[in-house]
Amino acid sequence: MRRVALRGLLARKTRLALTALAVALGVMLIAGTYVFTDTINSSFDRIFSVSLQKIDVVITPDTDLSGDDGTTVPLDASLLRKARAVDGVRTAEGSVSDQNGTVLGKDGKPVSQQGAPMIIASLNGPAFESLNVADGRFPKTADEVALDKGTADKEGFKLGARISVQGVAPRKRYRLVGLTTIGGVPSLGGAAFATLTLAEAQRMTGKQGRFDAIDIDGDPGVDPRQLTARVRQISGRGTVVRTGRQEAQSQSDDIRSNLSFLSTALLAFGGISLFVGAFIIFNTFSITVAQRAREFALLRTLGASRRQVLRSVLLEGLAIGVLGAAAGLGLGIAVASGLRALFKSFGIDLPSSGTVILTRTITVSLIVGILVTLIACVVPALRATRVPPVAALREGVALPETRHSRLAFPLALVLTAIGVALLVLGLFVASGATSALSLTGAGAAVTFLGVALLSPRLVPPIASLVGAPLQRLFGLTGRLARENSVRQPGRTATTAAALMVGVALVCFAAIFAAGANKTIADAVDSGLRGQVILQNQAGFGAFTPAAGAAVKQIPGVEVVSPVRGATTRVQGISGKEALAGIDPAGFQRVYRLTVVKPRTPGRNAIRDLPDNGLLVETGYADDHKLKLGDPVALKTPRNGLLRVKVSGIFKDKGQLVGSLVVSNRVLQQQFGVDRDQLTFIGLTGGRENPAVKRAIDARLARDFPQVEARTAAQFTQDQRDQINQLLGLIYALLALTVIVALFGIVNTLVLSITERTRELGMLRAVGTSRRQVKAMIRLEAVITAMIGGVLGIVLGVGLSLLVTRAIDDFSIAFPVGTLVVVLIASGVAGVLAAILPARRAARLDVLEALAYE
Amino acid sequence: MIVTATDIKRRYGAGEAAVEALRGVSVAFPKGEFTAIMGPSGSGKSTLMHILAGLDRPTEGSVLVDGTEIVGLDDNALTQLRRDKLGFIFQSFNLLPVLTAEENILLPLSIAGRDPDREWIRRLIETVGLGDRLTHRPAELSGGQQQRVAVARALASRPSVVFADEPTGNLDTKTSADILTLLRRSVDEFGQTIVMVTHDPESASVADRLLVLRDGLLAEDSAGVAAPVVAPAGQA
Ligand SMILES: Nc1ncnc2c1ncn2[C@@H]1O[C@H](COP(=O)(O)OP(=O)(O)O)[C@@H](O)[C@H]1O
Ligand SMILES: [Mg+2]
Repeated sequence: MRRVALRGLLARKTRLALTALAVALGVMLIAGTYVFTDTINSSFDRIFSVSLQKIDVVITPDTDLSGDDGTTVPLDASLLRKARAVDGVRTAEGSVSDQNGTVLGKDGKPVSQQGAPMIIASLNGPAFESLNVADGRFPKTADEVALDKGTADKEGFKLGARISVQGVAPRKRYRLVGLTTIGGVPSLGGAAFATLTLAEAQRMTGKQGRFDAIDIDGDPGVDPRQLTARVRQISGRGTVVRTGRQEAQSQSDDIRSNLSFLSTALLAFGGISLFVGAFIIFNTFSITVAQRAREFALLRTLGASRRQVLRSVLLEGLAIGVLGAAAGLGLGIAVASGLRALFKSFGIDLPSSGTVILTRTITVSLIVGILVTLIACVVPALRATRVPPVAALREGVALPETRHSRLAFPLALVLTAIGVALLVLGLFVASGATSALSLTGAGAAVTFLGVALLSPRLVPPIASLVGAPLQRLFGLTGRLARENSVRQPGRTATTAAALMVGVALVCFAAIFAAGANKTIADAVDSGLRGQVILQNQAGFGAFTPAAGAAVKQIPGVEVVSPVRGATTRVQGISGKEALAGIDPAGFQRVYRLTVVKPRTPGRNAIRDLPDNGLLVETGYADDHKLKLGDPVALKTPRNGLLRVKVSGIFKDKGQLVGSLVVSNRVLQQQFGVDRDQLTFIGLTGGRENPAVKRAIDARLARDFPQVEARTAAQFTQDQRDQINQLLGLIYALLALTVIVALFGIVNTLVLSITERTRELGMLRAVGTSRRQVKAMIRLEAVITAMIGGVLGIVLGVGLSLLVTRAIDDFSIAFPVGTLVVVLIASGVAGVLAAILPARRAARLDVLEALAYE
Repeated sequence: MIVTATDIKRRYGAGEAAVEALRGVSVAFPKGEFTAIMGPSGSGKSTLMHILAGLDRPTEGSVLVDGTEIVGLDDNALTQLRRDKLGFIFQSFNLLPVLTAEENILLPLSIAGRDPDREWIRRLIETVGLGDRLTHRPAELSGGQQQRVAVARALASRPSVVFADEPTGNLDTKTSADILTLLRRSVDEFGQTIVMVTHDPESASVADRLLVLRDGLLAEDSAGVAAPVVAPAGQA
């Protein structure tokens, strides 16, 4: 029996390859993701453990409430004196490492424009310094800089070159005196790393007399853990004391959790692709089981039990699963370096020291691939066991109608309903991002399954719809193609459903992105009153307030109003919340916040925002039942509590401010925030003025290249570009799913052609030309693909309507052009899928085909 | 008696469209006898054979194979029955194209997980005359050779009875004669019991006994035993 199964597989190599490929591509993405992230993680692990190996104990600010860009409130110099006095401390040193720096390349533009950090760090004493100088020496004076070798090589900087750096202090030119490496690698994940003397680093980052970390070396024989406990006693609130090893671990963990979003997203796409692969496998097995009904019947008459038949089909599935999963694993390892290259081309040079393949990568890839294959072929295998032995003696047997297929329609309805219910639950009811996301994902998957099961009923009408024009264009060939596509509606339906999943997700992404673009445009239109916005050129991150101050001096600039940002926890409400700071006085001249009733009579809630006042966005107030005058306690980075009262409730159409707002003065005093996030600028007369804009640009370029000025239109375009870039990445990943679905079409066609050999021979015998046969197969593929396209578009539109409904103030926009392109593309995809099968069909020898049994 | 059928009735479908394929057939097959069943097309030959072999269920009646009542057995018991007691030869050979001739012959044994009796298989292969074709695939064999493989396969597990449904239906006269001789020899030399459906009188003449079916009833039995020619309705 085993031999029969395996020989059978080998005898049909094309099918074997195509079916295995359906699993392989999904597994490839999963394995690739693991290898990719594991490699990055292990490289960072090494860098961190090297950079902290000389340090026994380190004091850092608590990062619980660090900003989005990792900014924390620096440590006070007094802490260094206290640390030095602790028993068992041999030396202690303060250091600075600030991610909000900017290093300029030869072209006068920042060396990193794709979000890789540019770090300004202080040179540590020889007891602690972990950088090595590959060439030259470390800086000695306030005019010297050392740069990581990776960046220097990329930018073509030689020793002695003049290099501009900007932080909180304005741009300054340094002489390049050294090229550094860390842990043997020239670059830390593509980050630019500028080392200055301690005092100069403090000045440049606005941290005079303060440190980002205090490194401690213990006396010989002192256990770092005991020393840690002692240092903890003097370090005070809002600080963290760890051994060097713990700190390395903690930094590694941070990287891991930052990367985990990326890897989860990539894994999800792998999962989608496997989901689609499962359709293909199911379909292939269903068809071959039907075609081999006689063979199973024969085996049964020769004494094979039902279980033996079941096992032999499952064994085939297992073989395909093993083959597909192993191929996927191999491809994944190959693709991992491709992913790295891709990220590098975006300027993110993630460190890598050798490819890391963990046992987990191998086991998960193999298990998932094999399991998916087996699950997909269970139903066809069960169907094979229902072939009665007597079928071996009868001509023209069809598989018996099973209980399963009779229940399919009601089951499909129930599944679809459950799927939609899960979606609604995930989108509108569930609290907590994880449960909402997983409910929504499961809901989408179940809905897809339900619709796939429903689709045999939908195939004939849709086939008539898309087939009618083809019939008109191609006459009899078109008609035969249409008839063939509805001959086995279940088969066509599953094939189309595989494509449907990919198309639905593409449409969903397109509609969602269009909505997001529109939302942003609407928001900027209705919220922004100023004419220019200053922001970090990286697109996010804080920047020096000196930039705004300098712009203020330019004639034609009337108002400069910065928005700052911090992170807080609201007492009694779980989770972190962004806290924005504004300058109450001029804010309304540059940005519109609508104050909602009730208002305090005689006062403007925004302009008159008191130091003990808090503005709350109306949705947030509703969610948490906050009313005017309610007391609120906010956690500060130093573990203090800031007690304020709700002094106004506002509506923010522009959505640029967030849910909670205090004054910048409070943010500075309580949260230590002294850099701007966005700065709104109002020009004289309240109108755009190109000359003034040029003057602002020039002023920024001279001293603050880190900061860029954007008009409202440019600002909107920036956001659009970011969304579209993300959309491009999503399309690329969904392409994999679509490719899997196309293999499914190829597979189904090849199998159908084998089945219809006699018929094709007859058609050729009565005078059908090769070209006509090809055209017929091609059109059948086009119809199948377009059925998938139509179903996918309908589902995608439905899904996005549902999801956007769940998001407050989300504008819906339908990219009709994109949807039409998707429909046409699915037809074209059908043509591509038909190339091989059509060629096969046309090659059939007429006589042989007629004699075929 | 190896197989005893008593008052077999088989109706297909229900109501107006119902077809009475067998209307009360009783027949017994002694060990070592070669029986041919003839009759016009649609007279119920295949149906009778399917029921005798446990491949189809009678609407009424009983079938004993080697003393065991097989009507109403579940699938597992029937599977066991096929492994132990039954062999089949088909009109369209029904070999597995992916296996060699020898593997096809041994297939029933490997399905049942039994070790072949080497000596018996050697003798079988010698008898059917396939010695030099054993490693060939069915596609590389002529129709006659394929049917020889099928005969050897049916005999490989030494079944109590071999059922053959028009085994020469797809073969020319010369090859047909070869296959029939082969079946005859298996009865004479090995004491095999064979029940063969055919519509060719030439073929039937090789058998020991001839049954003729007409309209679902046994019309003639050359042995003249154990079966009333007409079983009036209501009398069982
Ligand atoms: N599975 C079936 N369903 C319905 N009718 C059947 C079936 N099998 C056989 N019959 C009918 O029963 C009658 C006897 O058929 P069969 O035993 O195949 O005849 P024979 O083999 O003698 O040609 C015929 O009328 C045939 O149409
Ligand atoms: Mg017949």
